[in-house]
Amino acid sequence: MYGLDAISANNGWQLAALGISIVFAGLIVLSFSISQIHRVLEFFDKSSGFSQRIKKAGREKNISEPDVADSPLPAGIKESAFQFKLLIKHIGEPFSLPELIDFSKKCGLLHSHLRINDLLQTNLIIPDGKGYFLWNYEVEKTLRLFDERGE
Amino acid sequence: MVNLLIEFLSNTGFALAGYQNIIMLLVGIVLIYLGISKCYEPLLLVPIGFGILMGNIPVIRDFGLGIYENGSFLNYMYFGVMHDVYPPLIFLGVGALTDFSAMLARPSLMLLGAAAQVGIFITFLGALAIGFLPNEAASIGIIGGADGPTAIFLTAVLAPRLIGPIAIAAYSYMALVPVIQPPIMKLLTSRKERLIRMEEPREVSKREKLIFPVVGFLLCCFIAPGALPLLGMLFFGNLLKESVVAERLAKAARTSIIDTVTILLGIAVGASTQGDIFLTSKSIGIFVLGASAFAVATAAGVIFAKIMNLFVRNKINPLIGAAGVSAVPNSARVVQIVGQKEDPTNFLLMHAMAPNISGVIGSAIAAAILWSFLGG
Repeated sequence: MYGLDAISANNGWQLAALGISIVFAGLIVLSFSISQIHRVLEFFDKSSGFSQRIKKAGREKNISEPDVADSPLPAGIKESAFQFKLLIKHIGEPFSLPELIDFSKKCGLLHSHLRINDLLQTNLIIPDGKGYFLWNYEVEKTLRLFDERGE
Repeated sequence: MVNLLIEFLSNTGFALAGYQNIIMLLVGIVLIYLGISKCYEPLLLVPIGFGILMGNIPVIRDFGLGIYENGSFLNYMYFGVMHDVYPPLIFLGVGALTDFSAMLARPSLMLLGAAAQVGIFITFLGALAIGFLPNEAASIGIIGGADGPTAIFLTAVLAPRLIGPIAIAAYSYMALVPVIQPPIMKLLTSRKERLIRMEEPREVSKREKLIFPVVGFLLCCFIAPGALPLLGMLFFGNLLKESVVAERLAKAARTSIIDTVTILLGIAVGASTQGDIFLTSKSIGIFVLGASAFAVATAAGVIFAKIMNLFVRNKINPLIGAAGVSAVPNSARVVQIVGQKEDPTNFLLMHAMAPNISGVIGSAIAAAILWSFLGG
């Protein structure tokens, strides 16, 4: 049997129509889900900032303790700090900045120079006086950067 | 003594060779030549070509040498093909190599990858029309997905005897993407459309790139569970890459593992390509349908991009629809080259990577759907 008869005899039309529909439906669902990921993440970032402000309103301010809600750090720096701390753990301390930049590029992080500059300016990365650099755990604790991550 | 000598000589390849062995050995040599001299998909065509040589040396039956004889070396290598072990391991490496940013930045472009999979189903209908059985037609149709591991994965389940010609057709046409696609792309688009500049994609955060493999895997496999081996390994490989903490594993996946499996797969597929299947009219049908599958998939992607432009504010350059054919990254490169011929300052490569990568996911889902319809 050949031609259109062969297709009909083997339910070809139904299989093809259903198959194409399922592929489209699957990728539509996936693309919609992906499009919502960054919005959900923004919502969680905002709500964690909101809950910090609620906590701040409910307690007395201690001037000697800098508060995360008062921290001048934007959300982007926190994410950079988390990622670069992981990289630094991997390459070990003390480290050189070129090594850190190279490794961050290999791991697919964008704008490495800019982000490392931000971390230098906030003293999360500090020089060790011998041409290398260290992660500043004291400043990390002070800023209480990773409380919400349980670190 | 003379009898021993005569028996020895009668067991040599010279005595056992038939015309089919000779022709297949020549086919193997041609594939090796194409891979080395012309650089047509050399990582696959060289192992496949040499595998054809190994599999078509005339040997005496029941001597434990042939690929279909239990316990032979080639039979053990063939195990990974027959039981769908190699293709998912290749996808592990592909996931560890791939950056999904382009797709995450503009998810709507994934629909172009879906549109290109129309080529699979139209070729399936064409194969039925010329007399192939449904299982065989599905295995031929999947060539239109332009994804070698997926084609081998599905064919091993539905039509294992056709693995040889289907794999050779799939990888040969993947190498010919720069030849097959441009005329179709130019035919279906106007100059004005080819000059469309697309909006810069937004920056994708690391957290999105970490969440996507898990979410993508769960969604895809809930919709099409048959895609579990392929997409599971693809997304796992990507998670290893993006997590940073497992960089050692990601590096192994995209280097030593994928290279080792590629060698084993190529040799096994080549050795399984025997003259009694390859030198038939079925093979000619497979090669003709394979070419049409690529052409239809390219056309479907481009046409769908033009349809999308009727509804979107930020226009899509319809050339990137051709990248829905999941020959990563060749078809995205072809889009870049064709686009730059019209406007050398128009960089379409990163935009084209979105449908290119979604084509990989789409072809795996299509394979799972065909398996669920026709398997068992």
